[in-house]
Amino acid sequence: MSSDVDLGTKIIESWLQKTGRTPFAFQQSTWKLISESGCGLVNAPTGCGKTYAVFLGTLIRWINQHPEDYSTLKNTGLQLIWITPLRALAKDIARAMEEVIASLDLHWKVGIRNGDSTPKERAAQKKQLPEVLIITPESLHLLFTHADHEKMANSLQVIAVDEWHELLGNKRGVQTELAIARLITAARKENHQPMVWGISATIGNLVQAMEVLLYPTGKEGHLVKADLPKNISVHSIFPDDLEEYPWSGHLGIRMAEKMLPVIEASNTTLIFINTRGMSEIWFQTLLHKAPHLAGILALHHGSIEPALRLWVEEALHSGKLKAVVCTSSLDLGVDFRPVDTVIQVGSPKGVARFMQRAGRSGHSPHETSRIYFLPTNTLELLEVAALKTAIEQSAVESKEPMVLCFDVLLQYCCTIAAGQGFNPAELLAEISSTHCFSSISQEEWNDVIFLLTRGGKALQQYDEFEKLQERDGRIYCSNRRMILRHRLHIGTIVSDAMLKVKTTGGKYMGVIEEWFISKLLPGDVFTLAGRNLELIGVKDMTALVKLSNQKKSIIPSWMGGRMSLSANLGALLRKTFNKVLIDESEPEIAALHLLMEQQQTLSHIPRENELLIEHIRSKEGYHLLVYPFEGRQVHEALSALLAYRIGKILPISFSISMNDYGFELLSDQPIPVDEENIYSLFSTENLLGDIQISVNSTEMARRKFRDIAVIGGLIFQGMPGEAKKARHLQSSASLLFNVLQNYDPENILLRQAYQEVMLEQMEEVRLREALNRIQTNPIKICYPEKLTPLSFPIIADGLNRNNLSTEKLEDRVKKMQIQLRK
Amino acid sequence: MQTPPLLHIMADQHCWLSPQRCMFWEEKKLLVLSDLHWGKTGHFRKNGIAVPTEIAKEDLHRLTQQITHFNPEQIIIVGDMFHSRANRELDQWLRWRNDFSSLAFTLIKGNHDILANVWYEEAKIQVFNNQWLLPPFTFVHDAADVVSAGEEENITISGHLHPGVAVTGKGKQSLRFPCFYFARPHFYLPAFSYFSGMAMVQPKKSQEVFAIVNDAVMKI
Repeated sequence: MSSDVDLGTKIIESWLQKTGRTPFAFQQSTWKLISESGCGLVNAPTGCGKTYAVFLGTLIRWINQHPEDYSTLKNTGLQLIWITPLRALAKDIARAMEEVIASLDLHWKVGIRNGDSTPKERAAQKKQLPEVLIITPESLHLLFTHADHEKMANSLQVIAVDEWHELLGNKRGVQTELAIARLITAARKENHQPMVWGISATIGNLVQAMEVLLYPTGKEGHLVKADLPKNISVHSIFPDDLEEYPWSGHLGIRMAEKMLPVIEASNTTLIFINTRGMSEIWFQTLLHKAPHLAGILALHHGSIEPALRLWVEEALHSGKLKAVVCTSSLDLGVDFRPVDTVIQVGSPKGVARFMQRAGRSGHSPHETSRIYFLPTNTLELLEVAALKTAIEQSAVESKEPMVLCFDVLLQYCCTIAAGQGFNPAELLAEISSTHCFSSISQEEWNDVIFLLTRGGKALQQYDEFEKLQERDGRIYCSNRRMILRHRLHIGTIVSDAMLKVKTTGGKYMGVIEEWFISKLLPGDVFTLAGRNLELIGVKDMTALVKLSNQKKSIIPSWMGGRMSLSANLGALLRKTFNKVLIDESEPEIAALHLLMEQQQTLSHIPRENELLIEHIRSKEGYHLLVYPFEGRQVHEALSALLAYRIGKILPISFSISMNDYGFELLSDQPIPVDEENIYSLFSTENLLGDIQISVNSTEMARRKFRDIAVIGGLIFQGMPGEAKKARHLQSSASLLFNVLQNYDPENILLRQAYQEVMLEQMEEVRLREALNRIQTNPIKICYPEKLTPLSFPIIADGLNRNNLSTEKLEDRVKKMQIQLRK
Repeated sequence: MQTPPLLHIMADQHCWLSPQRCMFWEEKKLLVLSDLHWGKTGHFRKNGIAVPTEIAKEDLHRLTQQITHFNPEQIIIVGDMFHSRANRELDQWLRWRNDFSSLAFTLIKGNHDILANVWYEEAKIQVFNNQWLLPPFTFVHDAADVVSAGEEENITISGHLHPGVAVTGKGKQSLRFPCFYFARPHFYLPAFSYFSGMAMVQPKKSQEVFAIVNDAVMKI
């Protein structure tokens, strides 16, 4: 160590040395940047000491600021805010930080603030803030409902955002952006500026991710990359006999036996399943096939009682478990040392997610991560081939930042109004300092303010509307009941109304969607957390149950979280088709030989630059199948566009279905698509106008509106376990959507629903690219006699049925009635 | 253009089903409707949820139209006439009531009707707490609550359910409409208010459903 090294760095490095560690280069550069008041983003895989990069940097800076008395100073106020997306992470991070503080003999305190904090902890924090506060974006916003929240910025040095890649691109990220802007604005009043540091896993647009995070600081950032190589080995688990047709969905369960040898040969295995419902089925099947796993096989998903989940996590740490069946609930979080194998069941839908999950095994920097892929649909083997290429090229997806989320903004305005109130011009300056709202117009801001204070637009007063009040140029919320309700609803994660599940003895079992329970009758048996439960009754948002020995039970299918294939993976998948039946050196492609031969015989194999279209007739009607391999979201847009344009040729009604590979238009009459008109149907001419109309004629905007209405405060969801106090205030998002559509089409939240569809699914640039690709490449139209291997999964279990019709409503009903009578 | 109501004969009585979600009983010159939920939008606004005022105005406008069209002597509301406690929309309704002062109003109370009795008195609304027998019909809010007085033959006319029906066809097509639903001996009216949801019914072969498709009533 040279002698010109500063005191703080000396202390930290000698402490590391004593514990036998040497700092990574990326950690040292972060420390240096923090000591120079720089801002930036640290890019490092989990388990590589990214927490130390930012946390130790803050400590070093602080020691250097107090060289004389750093070891005796107490209660110096909040120095570091650590924003984390996951509650479960908070404890482990706090533990790691406290360890450092204790061994350095400092008098810092580390506090945790989230939904689990006790009133005692909250009161203590209110009296004296700890030096480090670990907090979720929602809890931070909740603090903003207190009138004196600005004082927390007085001594604040660093705002750190952990797992920024998980927040960017969704509304929690917007919430984070707003929180940073608020803290910086508050600090500026005290004439200082806290640093902003993000910590992120690898994503395609790291520089943009950093720019978005640092936007309110107005500073250039520094991207610090760990550059630690990570080896991932990918193995597929092949079915014994590859039948002609790709089995779809849950049939992958037939391969459960093939999974057992992998589990046996490993120390501890994490088995990732895409949905909660399927994880319940897999858990039971594995126990059934291998009874000796009882007690050492566990289940972990978001609807399971928190205490049980915690137990599973602890048992994973201590190596007590052989395997855990889990969902994305274990995607994030601290590493479980004993885990040496990961099994992914079904398509991971994206490169980033696949790599993240693989990384849950063999996490220390030089170990190899081992991941097995078990397909639930034979075609998914092609995805594995594509994923392998993606990992080689580290072609990880980008996360697009969201812009102008008025629902989050309305919620935020209420949050500030509930606390100290705000001056509209000042708050506008603050929120425009975020990337999300940097382009907000004065007119849009006026709409927001009018909506909150008068219920409508300028020059229009909604009778008896009460939400926020204007007094002496400031806007407040003076209704206590409304403030309380608002506090309960802060957040941007919208789920279906949930019920608590409790036994008659009062034991808490977990939560479950209200709509699922509403379909059951008392006496029905369902499965939750691997146990069969008999429903006794529902009272005050709680489902009362008792344990049941009955073998047959209903497995809930939880809604939510159905991912779309990323554009990256889609493009790689199209390339993979070039090898099909030609270059079978990859075992995954070779395994599909028979299936693809069938596809070739019946129809055609779509090569990278071709678009395959199939006309198939069945007893259900006339199917038109199109395979752009662009992912479900883009297919939703493309299919609506195509349906609308065909509907201009003649009055026709479609039911639309799609998956990640293609989409299906189904009609009761022949679909007029042939070589003559196909290119004009996919033309980019008048694209924007046609898109707008086709969006309007489907349910896309209506679906988006549901979340927007909840976040924007138009709908109050019952809380699990809470008596329905607001019974007279219940309405459905769909009803509100109709009402606003008919009577207030300019409503800012309604406009946002259309905007989100346009931006996320119908992104004009991307659609144009897809259409241009189609225009300049050959289109192959086939007329197979029966369902082809590619069409089967779409027709059998495609998701997201949309409807689009150009027939008159009365005519459609008459036609349906005639069909029924036949 | 308004299509005419559909004639439905129950127990030899002529009942006209209107696409405006109400029913006219010709023999007694009675207009029957249910689940008006008047004041619901105002209640929402008072609680900070911005719902346009026009929707309630249109409900009232439609009711006026129906009165002009059928020229009834009496209006029966089988429950959930008013959504919640007093708000300014109720005052509006009282003013509207004055324009039809000669018209008799009868309310069979529903679960939402929680106003004080004196309020109904002042509004000149005759109130039944449970049900009202007017052979061959029994008017009640929730058909599940009907107390039969030995008159097994009576048909109940009720609301509460907000019935809706899904019509399906070839090519996986499906459409949903509010409807009149006749599951003998219960006849369910659609919710009159446009600011109300639907509960989908699965009619059996023996039951009758009349869907409201745009401006027409169609037997399904």
